[in-house]
Amino acid sequence: MKPELKRRLKSKEAVLFLIFVVIFVFMSILSPTRFLSLYNLQSMAYQLPEFGILALSMMIVIITGGINLSVTYTATLAMIIGGFAMSHMFAGGSSAGLSVLVGIILMLAGSLACGAFNGYVIAYIGVTPMLATLGAMTFFEGISLQVTRGGAISGFPIEFIKIGNTAVLGIPVPMIIFLFVLATVYLFLERSRMGATLYMIGSNPKVTRYSGINVRKNLFITYLIASLLAGIAGILMASRYNSAKESYGSSYLLQAVSAAVLGGTSIAGGEGKVIGTVIAVLIIQVISSGLNIIGLNRYLTNVVMGLILIVVLTINFLTREKQFRNN
Amino acid sequence: MKKKVLAVLLVLMLCISMTWANGSSDKGSDELTIVVMPKLVGIPYFNASEVGAMQAGKDLGVNVIYTGPTTADAAEQVRMLEDLISKGVDAICVAPNDAAALTPVLMKAKSAGIAVLDWDTPADPNVVDLSIHQIDDKQYGEHIWDLLVEGMGDTGDYAIITGGLSAANLNSWIDAGLDYAKKTYPGLNLVTERIPSDEKQQVAYQKTLDLIKAYPNLKGVVGISTPAPLGAAQAVEEKGLSDVITVVGTSLPTDSGPYLADGSLKVGTLWDPSKLGYLTVVMAADFLKGNKPVDGQMVENVGKISVWPDGRTVIMGPPADFTKENYKTFNF
Repeated sequence: MKPELKRRLKSKEAVLFLIFVVIFVFMSILSPTRFLSLYNLQSMAYQLPEFGILALSMMIVIITGGINLSVTYTATLAMIIGGFAMSHMFAGGSSAGLSVLVGIILMLAGSLACGAFNGYVIAYIGVTPMLATLGAMTFFEGISLQVTRGGAISGFPIEFIKIGNTAVLGIPVPMIIFLFVLATVYLFLERSRMGATLYMIGSNPKVTRYSGINVRKNLFITYLIASLLAGIAGILMASRYNSAKESYGSSYLLQAVSAAVLGGTSIAGGEGKVIGTVIAVLIIQVISSGLNIIGLNRYLTNVVMGLILIVVLTINFLTREKQFRNN
Repeated sequence: MKKKVLAVLLVLMLCISMTWANGSSDKGSDELTIVVMPKLVGIPYFNASEVGAMQAGKDLGVNVIYTGPTTADAAEQVRMLEDLISKGVDAICVAPNDAAALTPVLMKAKSAGIAVLDWDTPADPNVVDLSIHQIDDKQYGEHIWDLLVEGMGDTGDYAIITGGLSAANLNSWIDAGLDYAKKTYPGLNLVTERIPSDEKQQVAYQKTLDLIKAYPNLKGVVGISTPAPLGAAQAVEEKGLSDVITVVGTSLPTDSGPYLADGSLKVGTLWDPSKLGYLTVVMAADFLKGNKPVDGQMVENVGKISVWPDGRTVIMGPPADFTKENYKTFNF
């Protein structure tokens, strides 16, 4: 075997993929007619994208050594701003196409504004990302509540609902959007100059700065991009749930961190691969849906997820130790 | 090393799934499967309704799956419902965290031939086959104000502490009560707008202390949402004003036991959540067998139910009052 191939087979991602295959086969054996049905595979393909995009958003930020605790509230604030305009325009007699277009543009713009806020506070003022985004989380939630008064915004045109609820050639539209986002993030992070810079910032910001790279600008742009992704996830959620509310997807926050870490992203920054995060998202989706279909109690689903996270992190740690010793 | 760890992981998963995979029978059976989904699992109220739902499953010989998200997130409910549609169940009874968010997935369930019911909190009325309400909102609101007047008399200052300003069901009880008070008890004086307490006893306690300070003539406090009356009673007891200020509200009898016993809480009123779970399963099973609910129908272990003229809104019945004398006889 060529050494290159051998190295790849031993990589974190390969182990992770193996775990995914094992879990998938295992679920399929336990429930061949239900888990392994076309209907369920399609249903999972509808569920996965919103979470997958949030996980990628989280991963980009973690790679630079930060974290974004306001990611889900960025998504919901964006969907509330856009959704508010969209439902009002539509109710006011504007055509469905125009309302949807304005709504989507405002959702993306809203998420960029959230990103600019986080980016400015973190990169230019210099607040620790965890504290800055913790504050931002409450701040965004407050603005959302001010707009919605605790209720949900609904009354979207049917054209908007269709984004999250239709399939082209059997592939759900959200999945197509996810694949597109995935490819873009991969090209950006692992095949572009700026992507390489982000890894550098994550491993050592000081050295990066002394090598003549504008760390502040790069960090600012990172939070913009990550929030834009959150905005896209927000569009998918608003469309799939036919409404916009500040609490939608609040359970995704810690799951997104877990997915990034499970996928091999170092929480200290500077390390992580897009493909790893994607496999981790697949694992979490398959466990969540599979155990739900099998009928496992929801607490135990959390237990199983936690166990897998710990086991994978242990494997990663032990292999790294071994490599150190061998060298 | 890797292989060993993987093997351990596999064995663990196998054990866990085999042990708890109760509903995993992939073979088709004639038994009806009814899903009852609360807003979230793991709080006393929904634990109590689980007991009722499971008991009804046993009594009627139907398979009941009681499952829900661990946080009150509508997105999580949607994902779980989608999985359950894949699983192929006969009826879904859901207490939505947000009615609008669940409409698409409930429509999916309907087109998959699954009966859709809501319970505890209404879903979009256009997609449900039956709607199980614990109580008639108007009647309940009026009942709470009657209890208040029983304690403080029909004149004087009072205040309302509610769980949250956006909770639709809490607001409808308060609105009904205020309307009723305007007509029936004109001597009552509401000192300030309804005060939110974030569904937390601690907050209700703090707000009540503030109220006592701000309105020295306060004679009554109405607590809406289960922790609110407890917090209010706690504050009144601490200030030694149990004989001056009447606290009434919606609380569970076991939680409110200490406050009822020391007299700081005059009376709590609520429905029995386990009966609500029981009734929900009975109604779902009846519906699947083609029986529609009838007004005045006697449901075993629940009592007489009423049905609105639309034929699909079922009301469980009047609330139960908990007092110093009787609270020990309830088990929820």
